[in-house]
Amino acid sequence: MMIRFKFTRGPELKYISHLDLLRVFERSVKRSRIPVAYSQGFNPRQKIVFGLPMSIGLTSDCEYADIELAEDIIPDDFIKAMNEGLPKGVRVVEAVHMTAKGNIMNQIKSARYEILFEIINANESIEISDYVNGMLNKKEIIVMKKSKKGKKPVDIRPLIYSLSAIEEESGLYKLEAFISAGAQDNLRADLLMEAFGQETGLDIRIISQHRKALYTSVLNRWKDPFEVAND
Amino acid sequence: MLLASFKTMKLKIDDSILLNVEKPAKYTGNEWNMVKKNLKDVKMRFAFCFPDDYEIGMSHLGLKILYHIMNKREDTYCERAFAPWVDMETIMREKKIPLYTLETYTPLYEFDMVGFTLQYEMSYSNILNMLDLGGIPILSKERTEGTPFVIAGGPCACNPEPLADFFDFFVIGEGEEVIHEIIDEYNAWKESGEARNDFLIRVAKIEGVYVPSLYDVSYNEDGIISSVIPNNSEAPEIIKRRIIRDLDSVDYPDDVIVPYIGTVHDRIMLEVFRGCIRGCRFCQAGFIYRPKRERSHEKLYDIARNSVEKTGYDEISLLSLSTSDYSSLPDLCNNLLEFTEAENVSLSLPSLRVDNFSLGLMEKASKVRKSGLTFAPEAGTQRLRDVINKGITNEDLISSVRLAVAGGWKHIKLYFMIGLPTETMDDVEGISDMGISLLESCRDILREKGSTLDITLSTSCFVPKPFTPFQWEPMDSMETLMEKQYHLKNLIKKRTRKIKYNYHDAKLSFIEAAFARGDRRLGKVIYTAWEKGCKFDGWDEFFSFDKWMEAFEECGLSPEFYANRSRDYDEVLPWDHIDVGVSKKFLVRESKKAHVGDLTGNCTAICSKCGAQSFKTGICTQIRRRVSYDD
Repeated sequence: MMIRFKFTRGPELKYISHLDLLRVFERSVKRSRIPVAYSQGFNPRQKIVFGLPMSIGLTSDCEYADIELAEDIIPDDFIKAMNEGLPKGVRVVEAVHMTAKGNIMNQIKSARYEILFEIINANESIEISDYVNGMLNKKEIIVMKKSKKGKKPVDIRPLIYSLSAIEEESGLYKLEAFISAGAQDNLRADLLMEAFGQETGLDIRIISQHRKALYTSVLNRWKDPFEVAND
Repeated sequence: MLLASFKTMKLKIDDSILLNVEKPAKYTGNEWNMVKKNLKDVKMRFAFCFPDDYEIGMSHLGLKILYHIMNKREDTYCERAFAPWVDMETIMREKKIPLYTLETYTPLYEFDMVGFTLQYEMSYSNILNMLDLGGIPILSKERTEGTPFVIAGGPCACNPEPLADFFDFFVIGEGEEVIHEIIDEYNAWKESGEARNDFLIRVAKIEGVYVPSLYDVSYNEDGIISSVIPNNSEAPEIIKRRIIRDLDSVDYPDDVIVPYIGTVHDRIMLEVFRGCIRGCRFCQAGFIYRPKRERSHEKLYDIARNSVEKTGYDEISLLSLSTSDYSSLPDLCNNLLEFTEAENVSLSLPSLRVDNFSLGLMEKASKVRKSGLTFAPEAGTQRLRDVINKGITNEDLISSVRLAVAGGWKHIKLYFMIGLPTETMDDVEGISDMGISLLESCRDILREKGSTLDITLSTSCFVPKPFTPFQWEPMDSMETLMEKQYHLKNLIKKRTRKIKYNYHDAKLSFIEAAFARGDRRLGKVIYTAWEKGCKFDGWDEFFSFDKWMEAFEECGLSPEFYANRSRDYDEVLPWDHIDVGVSKKFLVRESKKAHVGDLTGNCTAICSKCGAQSFKTGICTQIRRRVSYDD
């Protein structure tokens, strides 16, 4: 039996890497005695697949994972059991039985972020939305993207779906970004901000990055991953 | 000292710090099973300090045990601090953030007691750095009323002298029981309103506690110690090591802290026994933890089950100096395997002697790939193995390796030491011979299986340690060690490409050797080296040989005096006022036997009257055995 669940990550646990977070879940599953299925072979692993990696510093309202179980559990009991074994800072908030094929990692296609930042070299009156529009008007935005084989130039303009920014309080800005995400064409929020600084000449310091939502795409429409769990 | 002005502050460590250092989770605490207490309810606050990186310190069993034991007391709160990595230290010094504990973000200077574990000599500079970062005067004589007591324990505490200037007192031996006596005494002292020094006199009366300021050391003109005499009538002349007589009777942690980031030993550690029956003459651990005492397999099984439940770890490792010597190993493993297989937990069995039984066990236990198998013959010729009392023959080794290769292992690693007493170039060449003969003896199996075999030979530099039969021996000079390393390296390169050779830095071992058998005067050297910026000396990228040599020179002391000098049996050694259990008489006997290549049987075969019988427990009381000497 498969369960798809959604969890949040608060500031308490934002200092750990994606790999460390996976381990947090593996150990919580064990502590909670959830009847997870294991892979075969020399080194049996729990069958859990996570939607999208989380970098150090990122908080989120909306992470997803699929877990395969060896016995049936009611989703509400699953949530309760998981939360007993999870440390403060990570909470499972929603879970559904899943019958559809396909795993969450391949389904995530876009993400919504909220990024708080300061501008270090700001003049007195910056109209931040002008800068954002200027960025959106570019035909291409080339940045150096890190990959396993070093850095290479990538055009990230096609990966940006919408951007808007406001000045939250004096000198503190909030950018809302809706961008491509997932196993292919993933755009990280910090790389987006690097590009924003590069294209506008602003010296930007990120204060916080927060994931607001993740979507999958069905026939060119954005959908909540829970919506496709039983298609 | 950084700051020590206002009390009970909880530090705020924010993103501007944490997002600018590597692995910020080393500095945030809040791991699963971290103990939380209301500060109003505790009388005694203890900061357990590990003088190295979090990833090393969180792998240390002693920390887990004492953390658990102290926190079981309602009146005590034990918290943790580690040496911050250099990126974090830079920011802390810049922003004037004192070193704090992970439980409550409290600066070290606010604690009642700050305890360090002494695991290896090359962490000494980190101790000074942590005290400084923690706002505590580095020299014990500069601490006044209201400053924490700074204490230490662990294996290096059996020669505490080089650190005598920095610690208020040391605990010699195992801590589970004595720590309660110390805390009780502390609470009583605090209520009495006595002066700081009165507490030191109180604890000096506790067996196993050594207060260095209560002893005067005098030296002869040649620099050798003439006497170590208590300067206070309450201080014992000899400090006897504490041991736990019955391991089943003390608490063992089954709710260990589970770190978020990977650590060196990130698993459940099941300590099956303490001590060792083997008596390999170079090995300090083989003497200072005597006698061998076991935990019952029933108790171990319970600990294992509860640990998995409370931590969520998926790996258990047995821990001891030589797993094969555990008397109920088959029972323990059978029971454990039944449970670990059902729970998808893997079981690892380090330091096993390789025979049919253990290979079968390993096969069943770890479902992990058959990557590497490690052997420790320690010396390349039979003659030298007899000198060090390593009861292993060439034939033993060949048959073990053949079994392993037939069982599918493809990488074999062999550990040796270079610079052992009486070693000649023939012995060094013997290391290469052994590698070649192993390759050749497996040729038929390899051909049959169409398989390959990689052999790695690895040599460390022998460092003579206190309380071993080699405590009087000179260490090889650095030049000799390097000459032997190069000779071996060239020899192997000439003979085969199938054998890899690794060796340790002789310079690091030389400095380690000076401190291992050092006396009180070396405190100045550690202080000077720390002032020059020495820290994390156990890490290749930070160890600065030149700075250490400058420090020795500026203090007018020679590291060769401590490392390379041959001592007479009747010389007063810096650690002679510490009694770990084995007697000097026995060590002299062993030293003499070593020089003629005479073997000494292990404790199950024969009692060699080493002195550990005085503890009246463990192997010493279990089996009727032949007794060798009449004394």
